[in-house]
Amino acid sequence: MRPVLRLLGPACALLLAAACSSNAPSGASDPSPPSGGDDGLVCSAGERPAAPLALLTRRQYDATISDLLGDNSQPSSSFPAENQVAGFNNNTEVHIANPLLVEQFMNAAEGISARAVAAGVDQLAPCAGTSTAERAQCGATFVASFGKRAFRRPLTTDEAQAFNTLFAGMNATRSYATAVELTIQALLQSPQFLYRVDSTRAATPETGAVPLDAYQLASRLSYFLTGSMPDQPLFGAADAGELSSPAEIETQARRLLETGRARSMVRDFNQQWLQLEQLSGLARNSVQGVSDVKGIGDDYRESLLQFMDQTFWEHGDLKSLFLSPSTFVNARLGSVLGLSAPATGFASVSDAPGSVGLLSQPGLMAMLAHSDQSGPVQRGVFVRQRLLCLEVPPPPPGLNPVAPDPAPGLTTRERFRVHTEAPACSGCHKLIDGTGFGFEKYDEFGRYRTQENGRPVDASGEMLASGEAAVDGPFDGVQELSTRLASSERVERCLATNWYRYAMGRVETEADGCSLREVEQKFAASGGQFKELLVAVALSEAFRYRPALPGDM
Amino acid sequence: MNRVRKNPELTRRHFLRAVGGAAVALPLLSSLRAGAAGEEFPKRLVLMYTPNGVVPDSWWPRNVTSESSWDLNTIHQPLAPFKDRLLFLGGVDLKVTDVGPGGLHQKGIGGLFTGQQLQSGDLFVDGCGQRAGWANGISVDQQIAKTIGIGTPITSLELGVRATENDVQGRIAYAGPGAPLPPMNDPSEVFQRLFSGFGQNTDQLAELRARRRSVLDTVQAQFKSVSGRVSSADRQKLDAHLTLVRDLENRMTATSNGSSACVAPAVPATLDPNSEDDMPVIAGLHLDMLATAFACDLTRVASFQISTSLNHIRYPWLDSLGEGHALSHMGPSDSNAFRELVARQTWHSQMLANFLTRLSQIPEGSGTVLDNTLVLWGNEVAEGNTHAHENIPFLTAGGGWHFRTGRSLQYTSASHNDLLVSVLNAMGVAATSFGQADLCGGPLPNLV
Repeated sequence: MRPVLRLLGPACALLLAAACSSNAPSGASDPSPPSGGDDGLVCSAGERPAAPLALLTRRQYDATISDLLGDNSQPSSSFPAENQVAGFNNNTEVHIANPLLVEQFMNAAEGISARAVAAGVDQLAPCAGTSTAERAQCGATFVASFGKRAFRRPLTTDEAQAFNTLFAGMNATRSYATAVELTIQALLQSPQFLYRVDSTRAATPETGAVPLDAYQLASRLSYFLTGSMPDQPLFGAADAGELSSPAEIETQARRLLETGRARSMVRDFNQQWLQLEQLSGLARNSVQGVSDVKGIGDDYRESLLQFMDQTFWEHGDLKSLFLSPSTFVNARLGSVLGLSAPATGFASVSDAPGSVGLLSQPGLMAMLAHSDQSGPVQRGVFVRQRLLCLEVPPPPPGLNPVAPDPAPGLTTRERFRVHTEAPACSGCHKLIDGTGFGFEKYDEFGRYRTQENGRPVDASGEMLASGEAAVDGPFDGVQELSTRLASSERVERCLATNWYRYAMGRVETEADGCSLREVEQKFAASGGQFKELLVAVALSEAFRYRPALPGDM
Repeated sequence: MNRVRKNPELTRRHFLRAVGGAAVALPLLSSLRAGAAGEEFPKRLVLMYTPNGVVPDSWWPRNVTSESSWDLNTIHQPLAPFKDRLLFLGGVDLKVTDVGPGGLHQKGIGGLFTGQQLQSGDLFVDGCGQRAGWANGISVDQQIAKTIGIGTPITSLELGVRATENDVQGRIAYAGPGAPLPPMNDPSEVFQRLFSGFGQNTDQLAELRARRRSVLDTVQAQFKSVSGRVSSADRQKLDAHLTLVRDLENRMTATSNGSSACVAPAVPATLDPNSEDDMPVIAGLHLDMLATAFACDLTRVASFQISTSLNHIRYPWLDSLGEGHALSHMGPSDSNAFRELVARQTWHSQMLANFLTRLSQIPEGSGTVLDNTLVLWGNEVAEGNTHAHENIPFLTAGGGWHFRTGRSLQYTSASHNDLLVSVLNAMGVAATSFGQADLCGGPLPNLV
């Protein structure tokens, strides 16, 4: 039997119990400086960033079906959840087909097509003809027009023929409506609909960077910035070949950012970046003045998302993310937090005690806590991993920490301090807890407090080894930490990296260094404007080009 | 879902069912299995997983004087009616976790039913900075499904109760290396998948099949249009997807000849799969529907996981308000944590006991479905506060056609890969090795 290492004693274990509870992202890769080339590409040297097939996520599927057919029934509710990497559920490496998903693609397609036909074949696939041949011809028209919207590009001759054959067969043996219905089913289960495919056979330039064609770029832009298929103006631009220059792409990107779908996209990003799924089913003991806490995690999430919306769409920059003192409360959260709130819906409170910005948000503080106490470890890990893209170093090989028995009656800080003081653990955990202790004025409900167990709360913390001198050092509470992070270059780069991961559907590799660097520079130059960051991602070479593939010439 | 709808029209019928929510009630066919002497009945397998280890002193049998003379411990009291169908397997280790990447919980859950290490890589980083990918191979249930799942409408059913962590820490079943199978957490979706189509007649079903075949044939041909123009990694993804579409089409011809206990349950109430309060109802519904799925022969292979490793979940209906993983780190001297852990683990036993009871109420030949079902229950660590991968709490229930049950066995540092081989053998799959080959010595001795 393998011996269990007890070297660490009790100190680390409770800490690890908390620290191990969430998956962390890997760190940002080291950027390499852009290098000039004579082909018009800035990033002309080295391996090209990958452009993998991207399977639609549930959210993208529903939005696409809504745009395609006006069907807002959210048919993906029966799909299994996507696998996640570094918080994101659109990661192309792990969001792949599985038996349940493929079965549900079929069921969803059957439901969607039945509803579409029931709503009116005449609008969907108008046909004046009455003979079988005439109706088959109408089918071909439907396949060409609807197929183009479903595949987000014109169908090839072979593709059109395959669907025309299905249509004609069903039209001849069943009915016109059945033919429409089954054609929709087949289109919606085809890989050209379910995946975003960035490759058509193309000549390979010397650089190895193949420019995406207009339809591919339209899809990339729309799924990044709106989480759905291209809208009519974007299709029009692709049809007209008006997506070839960076200026044309920028025009479309800025237009898309003003659409309603962009707002839900930003929410989707924020949910994943901040890993707000942890708020689902949030468990809390009842609290004075609130009789029912079931589902309160959903209230916290909405509160936090409204804060993030305001930050993105009204304030618009990184500084406001950390320093905007708004808090959004509904009646229940108002009762919990002791803030005045409307009877229905959410409203902003600008002067809540202890309100600083993102880091003091009740939703965030409640999420990064235990059910019955604050969570210095979760909070420290969050700041280091999500905001600074710092890795937690792995523990020594073979380490198998053994838990301590608890010592009742201590403050949270005292309970956790014992762990950072044990020599074998402190190396890592000073990094985590030193940050997390600075949040002690926010309890597990996100309530601001100055006392715990009748004693004054000590919210002193220390940032260590952040990789940025201006961030490191002792600090007192969230206000001081927020001020530091608001002007941190590392935070700025980390947010850029997270948006890049979201846009590309993968974690960056070395090949992305140059493109990512471009994005970071533009974001910094804009003074941390979120929209400029997103436009920069859309204009990056990794976004506009793909590597050469086997089928290329 | 013991709230079975007493519909005499349905109870007298056998069901023929296709995948995807369509089924048909056939007139009673007296030639169907019921009671024909010497008839072979299908064998079923259920893998059960509960996380974060157990309280060993309350889990392992007491007063053991021989392998057949022992008493159930506190946690397993609910299983008393089934004591003679149980096998406690002491001294079995997850040796597969001794090497390879990943954190202790990650490696444990990934290796538990696959017998494989995790793939290396940076996909999943646990809170301690350990990195790993998915498990590097098929899990034993899926290997078995390739044999006994063929011909049933649903090859295998993966069920979860708040199994909502969508990475390596949350997956127990794998179709192959790096191909985890997500569990269904919502009983409404399970109901929809299993029973929504009950009641269609043969003509409707035949037409549905014909239409689906036309659609899926068209769909399959489309994969060629894409796969010639992608990277080799993407081609593998598309090929895997295409295979799943083919499987879907092939399974349409599957028929299920259910017993008289094949009765579509009532539509479950809407529940919140993320709610701690709804967990007991969801667990009960899942297992009741699984029992019915066995009665209807909709599937023969299933897995059932109660949450995932490293969870924060409380069990308020047991007055257990600690968070799962943190609680498991408390030592036995913490009497409150100890009480909570024992209560939770006893509740897990109760869920299994309820399921066995349901199976024992479904007649099959001269016995019941329980006579033809094997449950293997495991955990990714032995104890939460040691993370030990030795002496994993392994327990089987049923499998009496192959195993000599009603015993408490003590091995010495046995490899759990051998236990997985024994399970394969029990389910009629000839094998001497499963998972990582160098950890296999053949089936565990002294089981049959």
